[in-house]
Amino acid sequence: MLEDELLKWKFRRGSQEALSRIYEKYLNSMLTLAMGLLNDTAEAEDVVHDVFVSFAKSAPDFRLRGSLSGYLATSVVNRVRDHKRRLRRHACRDARFCVSTGSPEPDEMVIFTEEAARLNEAVAELPEDQREVVLLRLTAGLKFRDVAKLQQASINTVQGRYRYGLARLRARFNGEVEP
Amino acid sequence: MRPKKKMEQAIRRKLRFAAGTTLHDRLWTDVLRAREESTGTNPAHHGPAVRRIVAKSLAAKAACVAAGLAVALLLVALWVRLSAPAYALDQTVTALRSVRFVHMIQRDDVGRISFERWIEIGTDGAQVRYRQERPPHPVAVIEDSESTAVYRYDKKAVILYDRSEEQYVWASLLGQALENLRQEGKVLEENIDYQGRRAHKVWWPAIHGECYVDTETKLPIVAGDSELSYEEPPPGVFEIVIPEGYTVVDNRPGATGSLPEWFVEEERLKKNAGDNFRQGMRALARGDSAEAAEKFEMVVKVGYDTWAWFWLGSAYYNLGQYDLAIEKFTQMLEKLKDAFKGRVDLSSCYYARGLAYTRLGRQEEAKADWRLCLPAMVRTLRIPSAGFVFEYADNPLVRLGEYKPTDQEVVTKMLNRLRLITGRDFGYDPDRTPEQNEAVITAWEQWLKSDGQIRFTPDAKLIPAPATQKP
Repeated sequence: MLEDELLKWKFRRGSQEALSRIYEKYLNSMLTLAMGLLNDTAEAEDVVHDVFVSFAKSAPDFRLRGSLSGYLATSVVNRVRDHKRRLRRHACRDARFCVSTGSPEPDEMVIFTEEAARLNEAVAELPEDQREVVLLRLTAGLKFRDVAKLQQASINTVQGRYRYGLARLRARFNGEVEP
Repeated sequence: MRPKKKMEQAIRRKLRFAAGTTLHDRLWTDVLRAREESTGTNPAHHGPAVRRIVAKSLAAKAACVAAGLAVALLLVALWVRLSAPAYALDQTVTALRSVRFVHMIQRDDVGRISFERWIEIGTDGAQVRYRQERPPHPVAVIEDSESTAVYRYDKKAVILYDRSEEQYVWASLLGQALENLRQEGKVLEENIDYQGRRAHKVWWPAIHGECYVDTETKLPIVAGDSELSYEEPPPGVFEIVIPEGYTVVDNRPGATGSLPEWFVEEERLKKNAGDNFRQGMRALARGDSAEAAEKFEMVVKVGYDTWAWFWLGSAYYNLGQYDLAIEKFTQMLEKLKDAFKGRVDLSSCYYARGLAYTRLGRQEEAKADWRLCLPAMVRTLRIPSAGFVFEYADNPLVRLGEYKPTDQEVVTKMLNRLRLITGRDFGYDPDRTPEQNEAVITAWEQWLKSDGQIRFTPDAKLIPAPATQKP
């Protein structure tokens, strides 16, 4: 926590070292979050790319009171939402410009285990709002209060979504030794 | 049920994705660039008090006025220069959004039409109606909004399919190709003369070729060897008409009446061909050339896919049956030259046939083939997508979507091919950027222009292909 405060301070003053440390520290957790939300390697890479590029550009005007991980996780969620909206609009407006995004191309750019892939498949089947809260809570470590703000819902609603989401996942893996 | 905490722990500990080195480095490069750009635009907060200095000196005032005039003149010149609108590929994509009809023509060596397509595109961008003819090929197709009619001139028959079951969805391919143009296309030259018309020359990776875009309409007028226009077709182009004396083979759901034997047999073979084609690709990818040859032989019998000819040739090459390999590569070249001239880059096939000729000691024929593929090979060093077709040909997993070579891999492998067939080595460091390897690329381009001497060098020093990370 203290380290993050120091990083924020240095980053605001243009320190490349701070940017590098933030990047190293949060790249994989943001990639995991994006993968969980999108279940598509190429799209997740794009989202994480945009988040960090935009973050790097923001240095001169960077002001943040909250946590760095919360800030980056919120940026990932917002980018994912924009991305999905764009895809939906895209599909409706003009089929000529649509390229299949569900192609099963494995991308050597991202490394993950079989277990992670299986868990991600299961998370991907959750309704969007439940998926968001489960991932933000468990992979990005956000508080329910912050997730509620992001989802524009009450804390009780968000906690309910979290419970339902976990219950579905537990049911899915019921009887298996480990997911 | 699993306890809630266990589930939470499983997600926290096991749901982890990590960026591989390539992705990590690529992202970091972009992040650094973004940082540099943003800090580069910062105003200087503590600059010298210029206004105070100017106000104190008459000479400084005069110099300041002169400098102001010079800046004004420069700005005017810049404005004039910038007011000529620059071309961007997005303009072409936007222009194509309003297109309702596409007319594509390919011509043979004496200028006769060898392939003609008419496509009607609906307001949602999907293909509505379609027609294709390839004289003197015995098959033509017309799709109206409900049925697909395949004209079999060789059988004097018209086969009717329900459109949802048999469709020549050319517009969907066009969609992918346009997206590819927007994202990966490159403007090579602007505002040049193309057969009396002003055009921009564009590299279009999806067609592995160049296209020319009209400077006024921003629409492509030529893609590969296809001429493109966008006029409304003459009446009746999309109308299914049964010629006199022709049999109608109605294969639509609910149709009564028996189907002719030749048709039933063809349909059966067609279905089997699809399975054999996939099995053949997998066999070739895992190195089982004997099985691959067997499967592809069954595919080419029904003319299911022209790439089957190529991979059949590859399988025979791997088995050491070079005569057969040459025969199959030749079939592929002839079929593709006729059917898809300009849309499919045949360089990889000339390269492969050249290798087979060499194995039989037919060096002159090998050199003749390699001269045809060398321009694309050298171009790959500057534009890696130009060499993608070689990777596609070498590894059927690319077609199956299970393997995607990186640009660095495409370039490295292409350099090895070049070294192998030319005996030249201008040096190259695959770990350096194209900009850093510029001298080497230029040397290859110069060599192609001036010398181009070919010497097959089986013991050429090859560059190790870059390692790829597996998920």
